Amino acid sequence: MDVEFTCHSGEVLAIFGPSGSGKTTILRSVAGLYRPGHASIRSGAETWSDTDRAAFVPPHRRAVGLVFQEYALFPHLTAVRNVMTALGHRPRVERRDRAEALLNLVHLGGHSAKKPSVLSGGERQRIALARALARDPAVLLLDEPFAAVDRSLRRRLQNEIDSLRRTLDMPLILVTHDFEDVVRLATHVLMLERGRAVASGPISTLMSRPDLSWLREAVGLGSVFDATVTRVHADRGLVELTFDGGTLLAPAGGAAPNAAVRVRIPAREIVLATNPPTGLSLHNVLPGVVTAVHADTAFAAVVVQLTVGGVALLAEVTRDAVGRLGIDAGQHLHALIKSVSIELLASDAHDAEDNR
Amino acid sequence: MDWAALRISLWLGAGTIAILLPFGVWFGRLLAVRDFRGKLLVEALVTVPLVLPPTVLGFYLLVTFGARSPIGQAFQALAGHPLPFSFQGLLLASAIANMPFVVQPIQRGFEAIPSDVRDAAACCGLTPWQQFLRIELPLAWPGVLTASILTFAHTLGEFGVVLMVGGNLPGQTRTLSVAIYDRMQAFDDRGAGVMAATLLAIAVATLMTTTALSRRVNPSRG
Amino acid sequence: MVRRSFCALFAVCLVGLPDAGAQRPPAIAAAANLNFALTEIARQFERDRGTRVDVVFGASGTLTRQIRDGAPFEMFLAADEEFPGQLTAAGLTRDAGAEYAIGRLVLFAPTGSPLVVDERLDGLSRLLHAGQVTRFAMANPDVAPYGRAAEATLRKRGLWDAIRSRLVLGDSIAQAAQFATSGNAVGGLIAYSLVKEPALANKGTYALIPQTDHPPLRQRMVLLKQATPVVEQFYAYMQGSAARTVLINNGYEVPR
Repeated sequence: MDVEFTCHSGEVLAIFGPSGSGKTTILRSVAGLYRPGHASIRSGAETWSDTDRAAFVPPHRRAVGLVFQEYALFPHLTAVRNVMTALGHRPRVERRDRAEALLNLVHLGGHSAKKPSVLSGGERQRIALARALARDPAVLLLDEPFAAVDRSLRRRLQNEIDSLRRTLDMPLILVTHDFEDVVRLATHVLMLERGRAVASGPISTLMSRPDLSWLREAVGLGSVFDATVTRVHADRGLVELTFDGGTLLAPAGGAAPNAAVRVRIPAREIVLATNPPTGLSLHNVLPGVVTAVHADTAFAAVVVQLTVGGVALLAEVTRDAVGRLGIDAGQHLHALIKSVSIELLASDAHDAEDNR
Repeated sequence: MDWAALRISLWLGAGTIAILLPFGVWFGRLLAVRDFRGKLLVEALVTVPLVLPPTVLGFYLLVTFGARSPIGQAFQALAGHPLPFSFQGLLLASAIANMPFVVQPIQRGFEAIPSDVRDAAACCGLTPWQQFLRIELPLAWPGVLTASILTFAHTLGEFGVVLMVGGNLPGQTRTLSVAIYDRMQAFDDRGAGVMAATLLAIAVATLMTTTALSRRVNPSRG
Repeated sequence: MVRRSFCALFAVCLVGLPDAGAQRPPAIAAAANLNFALTEIARQFERDRGTRVDVVFGASGTLTRQIRDGAPFEMFLAADEEFPGQLTAAGLTRDAGAEYAIGRLVLFAPTGSPLVVDERLDGLSRLLHAGQVTRFAMANPDVAPYGRAAEATLRKRGLWDAIRSRLVLGDSIAQAAQFATSGNAVGGLIAYSLVKEPALANKGTYALIPQTDHPPLRQRMVLLKQATPVVEQFYAYMQGSAARTVLINNGYEVPR
C-alpha cells in the first residue's frame, strides 16, 4: 500500500475506490485496529504510529471515533449505555448526562433505554455515531456509512452528517465505494485502486480533471463546486447562486438566502458557444477560456475543460463539434447551462431533492 | 441412600467446575480469537477425552500419577498420601475427562461475538481487560453457562474413570454412580434403585435448568 | 437471577467437604465372595467392640493391583494365597498373614433354566452338546481366584473348550453371581458363600463342586504395613470364634 494524506478540522476526506482497494485498511490503521508493516500516523502533536521508531499507540488509547459499517453496537447494552461505554475519559458523574445529550444531538432522545435489537437500521447507525462522538475524538471515521441503508434514508443521513460536520471541530474521514457520497459530502478526495493512490486533492479540483476515464465510466463527468445562495426570486421560482466563476440561476428548492450549497453540473449538460446566444430558454451564459481538450479513443465524446473565473467546468461535446468550432486551448468560449441541469447538493436544499 | 456418596458426587461436580471454568474461559477465548500454527492439533487434543474410553484415561492416569511413578511418589512425599484413591485424584481425572465439555461451548460462545464488536470496544477506549469483562464475557455468558451445566451433569455420571482412579473407598472416592454399582454387587437392588432414581432426578433437574436459563438469556441478545 | 441460581447450586454442594485424613473408619479390602459373610462379621465387630471398619469388596486381583498402586487399605482378605503373597513379596505387608477360610464352588442354575445341576456337571455337558447353552457365567480367572477354580473344574470335566465361546466373565465373583442369577445365562460357577444367602438361595438350584475338582480355595488375609490398632483388632477378631461361626454358616470351612 502506498498512500499519503493529511486531513484538517472541518474537512471531510472521502477515501474512494472499488472493493479490495484498501480503503477500510487505511481507516482501520488510523484507528489502530490494523498495524501496517510500514506506517506513520500522527494526530496533532501525538504520534499514533511510527514503524521507523517502533512506536505504536493501541486503539484504546487513541482518541478516535469509528462508526463501523455494521455499526457494531453492544447488543447487551441499552442505547445510552452503549454511548456511555465510550465516556470512560470523563468523570463518572458527567457520563449519563453527556450520553443523553449526544443521543439528543442525533435525534434519538426518546430511545436511550432501548436495546439495539428493537431499533431500526437508521437508528442504530445514529447510536453508533453518538458513541463515536462520545469519545471526544481527534478524528471521526466512518466506514461505508450508507452501504446498508436505502435511498431516502441515505439522503437524510447524508444531510445530517453534513450539518454535523459543520459544527464539529474535527476532521472527518469517510470510506465509500459510492461516488454519490463523495460528491455530496467530501471536501477532499483520495482515490484508491489496488492499494495505490491514483488521485487526491480538493473535490472541485479533482472533478474538473478531464482525464479520469475510470471516473467517467463509473459515474459520468461533472463539475462540482461550492456556492452561496445570494438571492431568492420567489416570484420567478428561481434562486441566484454566486460562486468563484460568477452567478448562476437555478430552480428554487427551498434553499434559504446565504445558505452554503454544493453544485453539480453534469458535463453533458453544458453547451459551448463561440458567441453568447439570444432568444434561448436557458438562463446561464458564462464566459470562459478553454484550458484543456481531452480526447480518449475509448469514448465518443471529447472532454473540454473550460475555466470560468476561478472554477474549471467540464463539457462533453462530439469530435465533430470540436472540429466545427475549432475548439482548442486558449480559445474564448461561452458555457451555456440550463438551470434545470444544475443539481444542488446541501443540507439546506434537501427538501428540493426530495421533491424531485 | 448413601449420603456420603451423594455429597462426594456433588462436590466432585462443583470442584470440577471450579477448576475448569477459569481455565476454560481463558483457553476457550484464546481458541476463539487467535489463530496459530498447530491450532488444529490443540483443538483435537482438547476433544480427545470425549472419544477415549474412560478406561484408557484411567489407565494413563494410574500409570502417570500412581504410587509406582516418579510423579506419584513426589506427590505422596508432599501430600502424605498417593494421588489415586483420593478425592484429589478424582478431581484431576474428572478435570481432564471434562475438558471438552468446558472448552468447546465456551469457545463457541466467544466465537459468536462479531469481531467488529470487539474492535468497537477498543475504539471506545476500553482496555483489553475492560473489554473482556464488560463486553466479551456478558456476551459469551450463555456458552459459559452451558459449559458449567454440561460438566456438572457429566461428572455426576462418570463411572469408569472414577472406579479406576478412585477405587471405591467409602467417604472418599465412592461417588453415587460407583455406590450404585457397589450395591448391585452386594445384591442390594433396593439400595441401588434409590440412588439410581436420585441420580436420574438430579440429571433431569440440571438439564431443565439449562434449558430454562438459556431461554431466558437468549432474548436479550441483539 | 442466573448468578443467584448458580450460587444456590454451589451452596447445595457445600454440605460436607470430603477431606483427606478426617475421622473416617479404616478401609479393608475383601474378596467379593465374602460379600455377605464379612458384612455380618463387621457388623458384629462394631456391636461388640464399638468401632467400625469399612469394607470394600472386589476381585482379589483388582484389589491387589490397587494396593500396589497405593490404595489406603489397611487389611486385605483375599480369595487365595497367591495375591496376598505378591503383596508380601513387594514388602507391603506386616507379615505373610494367616489363612482364615477355605471356599467352595457351586454350579448354580436360576429358576426356569434348562440346566440341571449336579456335582459332576453331567447336566451341563448334556445341555452343551445339545447346543442349548446360551451363556454361562463365571468370574474372570485373571483377577478372581474363584474364576481360576471354575476354569480348572471345567477343564477337568472336559468342557472348557466347548463352553469357552459361551462364557460371560464377571470382573469379580460377585458380578459373576449377578450374571448367573439374573436369568441372562443358563447358570454359572459361583461361590458357595454367595448362594447360601437366603436372598439368592431361593432364586434357583445349586450343586456343590467337589474340592478335588480344583485347586483348594485357601483364602489368606494380611495386614498391610499402614494398619492401625483398630484393624489389628479386627484381624484378631477374624480368627475368633464369633467370626468363625459366621464363616461356617456361610459355607466356608475354617482352618484349625
